[in-house]
Amino acid sequence: LQEVGAIARRLVLNSSLLARLVRLVARAFYDDEIPHKGANPGKSGKSDNKGISVVVLDALTRRQWVKEEELAKRLKLHPKQLRRTLRVLEDEMLVIREDHKETTKNAKVYNAAVAVADGEQQGGPANEKTKALLHSYCCLDYAQICDVVRYRIHRAKKMIKDELEDKNTVQEYVCPDSGCGRRYSALDASRLISPVDMNFHCERCDAELVANNDKLAPKDLGEGNNEENARRRQREKLKEMLERMEVQLKPLTDQLAKLKDLTPPDYGSFSQWQERTLAQARGDGDGDHKTANGERPSVPMPFLGETKARVEVAFAGSDTKEAVKEDPGKSMKVLPPWMIRQGMSLTAQQRGEVKTEEGASSDTKPTVAPTMDEKPMSAERQLQEEYVKAYYAALMLQQQQQQQQQPPGDALDEVKKEEPDQENGFAAIAGDRVVGVKSKRDDAEDDVEWEEEAPSTGLRSPISFASIAKLC
Amino acid sequence: MFFHIRLERNLQLHPRFFGPQLRDKLVEKLIHDVEGTCSGRHGFVVAVTGVDTIGKGLIRDGTGYVTFPIHYQCVVFRPFKGEILEGVVTLVNKMGFFAEAGPVQIFVSNHLIPDDMSFQSGDVPCYETSDSSVRIQKDSEVRLKIVGTRVDATEIFCIGTIKDDFLGLIGDPTAGA
Repeated sequence: LQEVGAIARRLVLNSSLLARLVRLVARAFYDDEIPHKGANPGKSGKSDNKGISVVVLDALTRRQWVKEEELAKRLKLHPKQLRRTLRVLEDEMLVIREDHKETTKNAKVYNAAVAVADGEQQGGPANEKTKALLHSYCCLDYAQICDVVRYRIHRAKKMIKDELEDKNTVQEYVCPDSGCGRRYSALDASRLISPVDMNFHCERCDAELVANNDKLAPKDLGEGNNEENARRRQREKLKEMLERMEVQLKPLTDQLAKLKDLTPPDYGSFSQWQERTLAQARGDGDGDHKTANGERPSVPMPFLGETKARVEVAFAGSDTKEAVKEDPGKSMKVLPPWMIRQGMSLTAQQRGEVKTEEGASSDTKPTVAPTMDEKPMSAERQLQEEYVKAYYAALMLQQQQQQQQQPPGDALDEVKKEEPDQENGFAAIAGDRVVGVKSKRDDAEDDVEWEEEAPSTGLRSPISFASIAKLC
Repeated sequence: MFFHIRLERNLQLHPRFFGPQLRDKLVEKLIHDVEGTCSGRHGFVVAVTGVDTIGKGLIRDGTGYVTFPIHYQCVVFRPFKGEILEGVVTLVNKMGFFAEAGPVQIFVSNHLIPDDMSFQSGDVPCYETSDSSVRIQKDSEVRLKIVGTRVDATEIFCIGTIKDDFLGLIGDPTAGA
């Protein structure tokens, strides 16, 4: 468990380092106004959006995937303005955006996911009014941010260094004609030469070309002695510029160096993130979500209503078969065994194999259904594995305690009754499962099921199996 | 740089040449067609040194022409980036000067001419140091380094510099025969 804590701490540290990096980048480079594109350049001083990107990026460091409308509401920004800002940031490769056409139900699912991530409680179905519109979501792309920032700084330094060392070899020529403005390279020189006056002429308008000196190239300040001084001055100016740049970028480069070895968290695409956080919600046993039953479009058999998963758990006997927490808000329903057919691709969750979090272990991420495709980064998986091990250990311990309390081979009823009480607190339902004919039949079915699934879920207490087998 | 390579070409021959001198005619045609041309891949073909094989001729449908595949060896010249060449100045301009090193033309822009040399216009435009010790004008020999090549399908053009050590003027046009 200590290792789990360490890993969790590292994750948090990771995100705080990254968050700091993003904030530094925002303040260093995106401090000015967002350039207006299109029809109305400069909204006649109505609103000065200087530094808006800083605010937006800061807000995004505190969230994962966020609906743009919601972000606009939280930040008290006009949604169009926010959208424009996000578009610019997306072009700069700092932010990923995705668009989803959504129905009301899915929006609720999204709300649940957000609520989990934020650790808030959603009282009641909040945004019922969302219709089947196109919703845009955005998220910070940390991996790309690290790379992009490092690359850009490198390029900027390279430009100055090259100029200092005179590596700019191929000259550019520009047609000074305002209508034409064509650029040529020195490589085209042979066909630009005019037979008349031995100068370079534009191909189209025949105006005389001018050498294109960007600001870094030494300027032509006249001939004679001045030139040498001019060039020397230029070199010194460049050197000074380089030094100043290094000094000013130092905190940023330091931050980047710290992050160089750590892998940034990858939230995956929006749908993956949604799945993941909802799985987490279920696993946390956080029964406070009152969002209505969201239909999970990816589930082949959507299961409406509350499941009687408890039944399954009770029979299988105790806690080796992990109880499925009944969450009104969860979207992945556990399918009872009579619904499971051959060849249905179900997640382990639907088979009722999800582990719940007991009071003992207080760590963050429970296992996500292993059949889900894109796994988050390895640290998370490691975390989960640690959690799993810890959880199993705790379970084993508890079970052994129980076995000591009651002699094995006791009436399964008591075990049944006790377990659900302990774990889920839904005594009423469990209590109804008195020993009866039906239950026994189900039991038999269950056993078959359980034995099949036994190897897939690892640790199993041999004792409880014996007790079940006895009853058959 | 010069290379000696083996190339292949398909030659079409008119029936009037079909006779005892067929082979000689083919070689003559080859030399006429190929020498002096430039391909982007191999460079300028300077001279054909020998003919390896001449394959069987294939009569084209509809016309009486016959196509012969010929394998031959030749000397080619292809400039590379970073290579150092000597050339002769052909044109001086306020933007730089043009020099020719054999079949290839090289342009040296004023940005890559040492700072102490400046353009002097006049009836003989040239680049000259302030004390007139070094003057680069038409027909001067210069040693230059190639910094960029532009290779089309049938042409090669280069950019050069004389800003490095040991480059620049090596021969005065006035001195020497």
